[in-house]
Amino acid sequence: MKYLFYYKRTGLLRYLSNHETMRMIERILRRTGGEFKMTEGFHQRMKLSFGQALPTGVIDRSGLFLLSTDEILDEEFLKVANSISPLGFEISKTEIVNDKFELGKSIDGYIFKLIFLRTPEVHDGWEIEEKGKIWVAGFFNVFNSHSPKPDEFGQYLTIRDSVIFKKS
Amino acid sequence: MNNKKHSSVLNKLVGILDKVEKPSRYMGNEYNSIKKDAELSMCLIFPDLYDVGMSHFGVKILYDIVNKSDFAKCERSYLPWLDMQKAMMENNVPLYSYETYTPIKEFDVIGFTLQYEMSYPNVLRSLKLGDVPIKNSQRSDTDPLVIAGGPCAFNPAPMEEFIDAFLIGDGEEATIEMLMAIKKGRSRSEKLELLSTVEGVYVPGYNYKVRKRVISEMKNDWAPTDQIIPYTEIIHDRGVVEIMRGCANGCRFCQAGMVYRPVRERSANDIFEISKETIKKTGYEELSLLSLSSADHSQIEDAISLLKNIKDTSLSIPSTRANAFTVEIAKAIGTIRKSGITIAPEAGTQRLRDVINKGITEENIFSAAKMARDNGWNKIKLYFMIGLPTETDEDVKAIGVMLDKIKRMGFHEVSATIGVFVPKAHTPFQFDAQMMPDEAFRRFKLLNWTRRFAKLSFTDPYKAIIEGVLSRGDKTVGEVVEEAEKRDVIFADWDEMFDPDKWMKIFEDKKIALQKIMEAKSFKDPFPWDFVDSGISKGFLWSEHLKSLKAELTPDCRNGCTGCGVCQKFNVDNVIQEGIVR
Repeated sequence: MKYLFYYKRTGLLRYLSNHETMRMIERILRRTGGEFKMTEGFHQRMKLSFGQALPTGVIDRSGLFLLSTDEILDEEFLKVANSISPLGFEISKTEIVNDKFELGKSIDGYIFKLIFLRTPEVHDGWEIEEKGKIWVAGFFNVFNSHSPKPDEFGQYLTIRDSVIFKKS
Repeated sequence: MNNKKHSSVLNKLVGILDKVEKPSRYMGNEYNSIKKDAELSMCLIFPDLYDVGMSHFGVKILYDIVNKSDFAKCERSYLPWLDMQKAMMENNVPLYSYETYTPIKEFDVIGFTLQYEMSYPNVLRSLKLGDVPIKNSQRSDTDPLVIAGGPCAFNPAPMEEFIDAFLIGDGEEATIEMLMAIKKGRSRSEKLELLSTVEGVYVPGYNYKVRKRVISEMKNDWAPTDQIIPYTEIIHDRGVVEIMRGCANGCRFCQAGMVYRPVRERSANDIFEISKETIKKTGYEELSLLSLSSADHSQIEDAISLLKNIKDTSLSIPSTRANAFTVEIAKAIGTIRKSGITIAPEAGTQRLRDVINKGITEENIFSAAKMARDNGWNKIKLYFMIGLPTETDEDVKAIGVMLDKIKRMGFHEVSATIGVFVPKAHTPFQFDAQMMPDEAFRRFKLLNWTRRFAKLSFTDPYKAIIEGVLSRGDKTVGEVVEEAEKRDVIFADWDEMFDPDKWMKIFEDKKIALQKIMEAKSFKDPFPWDFVDSGISKGFLWSEHLKSLKAELTPDCRNGCTGCGVCQKFNVDNVIQEGIVR
């Protein structure tokens, strides 16, 4: 069965590179003791496929990866996996998807939110919201286009907030 | 000290981490790291970059033992790379622990592991970044006690002015005893006084003789299985199980082989149980079987066949001997498709291998290489040293002949790393001279012709000289260490940071008698480490030195006592498991 995992990477873990995030996740899954599909070869790795890579320093509330297994990954599995994860990483849910499901073909894009401590300069497609002493700029980013880097617009925090799937 | 996170450091860190290379090196908060409340706190610092320090197993052992105690806690720190050091200084962030982001000066104890001499200036830089006075004479009751251990502690002299107490030998039992002594003492001087009564501990100015500490066996409780998982890719990023401590081969150049006697093996079953637990607790995909000479473990084959039952986990074995059995083992763990096979003949002629008591024959080396080739290896890597005692040009040239013969066996790639020999304290070669750089460069040239078919890499002879000064030096060498740190000569072991001219200038400015440190010594010459008893008598080392001059062998002491004195002195024995465990 193919599972789609939704995860969040927050706090200090936003400083992980993409590669480091992937390795952390693989090791969490290995610690669960579950049977997952592996690659061939001497150094066997788990067969995982991820959504779009993020620049280091971005908070991720919409991380995604696909995993194939014959095991039933239920609520209990999520609880166990989250209990053996580093602080700042959490799998929020999993869902079974069609065997042919591929992230690259299914994701339309992501909603990013940038937090500013002063009035930001407005760019095309941005929606600005003033919340007390902070400004939140939200915008849609097409899949595999350039993700905003931390500090690119003078923002205080960069958040990948949610994923938008293509309408099938 | 409680386990609350220090927000003063953490808040500033958030602004800094965006701006440095590989921020995950400095983040802390790794899985399996421990935050606990305890009466007494220690911060263990590996005085090098996180990538190196996190790969070190000794820290893992002590971290686990202290955190399992009911009165003390252990946190960790490392020396940040230059970009991070700069950012920390600009933002007033002191060196902090990776568990609770506590400035190191707030700990009761700071512990350093001295694994290689080149890290000495890094120790001082760590203290400075942590705002802790670097000299023990400058520290007061409000400063942490600074302790140190590791192989380099066997010659404490060069670091004596900086360290409050040295632990010499095995740390499993002694570390807890040291922490208890520190807890009991009311003032700094009382703590030091109490520390000086712990067996294996040398406190400069308090005791004048010290005998190394030995554990008689490898208890399973001392094997850390909840090993901390780094986020960043470190040098040895895998689970580790120590299968054996000590080595009985008696290679005359090897300090670890001399000072960590006797041999203490873990049984194949224990290795298997520890390994299973380590993989379960870490999620590592690779497990390394650590020891000074893993192929010598009496149950290594049984251990490997048990370990192969751990699913989706690859095995690796560092440090094995250049013989056919090594290839058998490599085959058994299934490394054929890996990069290549490594063997260490150390010297080119049989005469010189006998001088160093390597205990392998030409036949052993060639049959290992042939067997590797027959079993599908395309790449082979060999380790040699030049500048070994009694070496002639013929010995050096013979390295080339050996490489040529091995290349002709049909390997696609033959590579050789040629190091410059550095005599170490507490070895039979402590009496021998160290080769100077000009001579080393001349001897390297004798091997240039082999570049046609082999990849050669030479270690920098100047690096060897500096290592030689730091390892056989006395108290005055401490001034060199202090000056090196002041002149920013840190991370000296990193090629991109190594600057021989700066070192030579420091030696000159501090009037270091280079020739005197490098020249041959006699039995009657006093050594700065004479007061440190490794269990092996100076007389035994001298007789081994004399035998080396005649190329006479001393057998492995598992086949009969060779009289080094360790077992009698400490009332211990080689712990050999033997027998078949299935």
